[in-house]
Amino acid sequence: MSSAPAAFAQVHTLYVAHHGWLQSWLRRRLGHAGDAADLAQDTFVRILAAPASMREKEADWQLREPRAYLTVVAKRLLANLHRRRALEQSYLDALALMPEPLAPSPEQQAIILETLQDIDAMLDGLAPAVRAAFLLAQLEGLGYAEIATRLGLSERTVKRYMAQAMARCIVLMP
Amino acid sequence: MSEVPGSGGAGVSETVALQAAEWFFLLQSDAATPADRSRWAQWRAQHAEHETAWQRAERVGQKFALLPAALAAPVLARPTAGRQRRQAVRAMAMLLVVAPATWLAWRHGPAQEWLADHRTATGERRQLTLPDGSHIQLDTASAVDVRFDGALRLLRLHAGVIHVQTAPDPQGTHRPFVVATAQGRLRALGTRFVVRQEGERSRVAVLQGAVEVRPDAAGGRLAVLRAGEQMVFTGQALGEVQPASRHVDDWTRGVFLARDMRLADFAAELGRYRPGVLRCDPAVADLRISGAFQLHDTGPVLDSLPQALPVAVLYRTRYWVTLAPPGR
Repeated sequence: MSSAPAAFAQVHTLYVAHHGWLQSWLRRRLGHAGDAADLAQDTFVRILAAPASMREKEADWQLREPRAYLTVVAKRLLANLHRRRALEQSYLDALALMPEPLAPSPEQQAIILETLQDIDAMLDGLAPAVRAAFLLAQLEGLGYAEIATRLGLSERTVKRYMAQAMARCIVLMP
Repeated sequence: MSEVPGSGGAGVSETVALQAAEWFFLLQSDAATPADRSRWAQWRAQHAEHETAWQRAERVGQKFALLPAALAAPVLARPTAGRQRRQAVRAMAMLLVVAPATWLAWRHGPAQEWLADHRTATGERRQLTLPDGSHIQLDTASAVDVRFDGALRLLRLHAGVIHVQTAPDPQGTHRPFVVATAQGRLRALGTRFVVRQEGERSRVAVLQGAVEVRPDAAGGRLAVLRAGEQMVFTGQALGEVQPASRHVDDWTRGVFLARDMRLADFAAELGRYRPGVLRCDPAVADLRISGAFQLHDTGPVLDSLPQALPVAVLYRTRYWVTLAPPGR
């Protein structure tokens, strides 16, 4: 792409001028210098990697309002980080409730946690009932009728919800 | 749609994704008729985007298969900030009620096959040398864990078939060599044998030496099989001692020998080495077949069938093959 070097130069300018500011903005939010440094880095990586069609890139917004632009991207990453941490915590809580001899091995745990993170990211933003119907089917292997009873919905609705959730996963699946 | 990492790549439209999702649940429900299945195969073949969507649906299903429900349900159902509407919490609370049984099911389910130390894909066979010098060979679609410690040489067979040739323990402590299946434990007494995990039961055939069979829940009852003997056992009971076929380890040499075998049984056996579905029409199920067949490439085997028997081999796709009466 001919515009690639130009885009790179733009991000470079942004980096030189605002990286320090972004990092201290993140440190105030996170209360942790290491996390702030990582996220600041991730923010620029994300901007470099983002497709040119991204809304923020299109309108050369980043040149007119560089700090507003950076915080939009950084906030998204921040929310992501919080979500991953919260998930990890509830995973550890659930694991602590497992009878010890049944607990998965450390390698299995790593795979399970990563899989949970992937699925959680794909399901993010779905309506709770849609998410619940899908999880009951996929995790517990329940059929339409039973899910409908448990959630107090019609079978038709359950069917539609499940397809909706699965379709979303399919669209987002790499 | 909001921007999500990883949403790039070859795109699948929302409409096609919905169609794939509907197929996925129909086929998962066991309610699918053969007519449904052939429409599904047609749909997949219709467009590259359909096939991509279908493969993604399968990957989503595989991801879930990796998760123990008892662990995943409370995590994925946790109320997310800003979305704690009452209805949501009620729905989620119901998800939390996951019986420990589902956890046990996971431990013996497909996830274990994925997580096993060594596994073979459909159609693949593999040889391994274990730390003590013993040799094992995995047949198609098999999964085994290897756990050696100071007291025991343990193999856990999760799926498929293994051939075991034990070696004397180099540690000099003569640690027992044990193969565990979902139904029980087999203790090798200086030996060569084949173990097959068949869902609710296990099959063991002894080629050399002897093997002690002890089901997990048969009150400690056990049997010793000698060379040339085989047994099918469940978790609760030992089976009868039967003569073992001399050909039980033919697969280790990449060969499959059929002698006056029903075509339906032949198709089931050959199907284990092929990805996809190999179906046998009931109208030809009782035809008999004999011969030695190569396992490394089952395509030519299928293609040669019409020369030996009054059957036609119908390919819906490469992964969907039916043996049927000719001229239909």
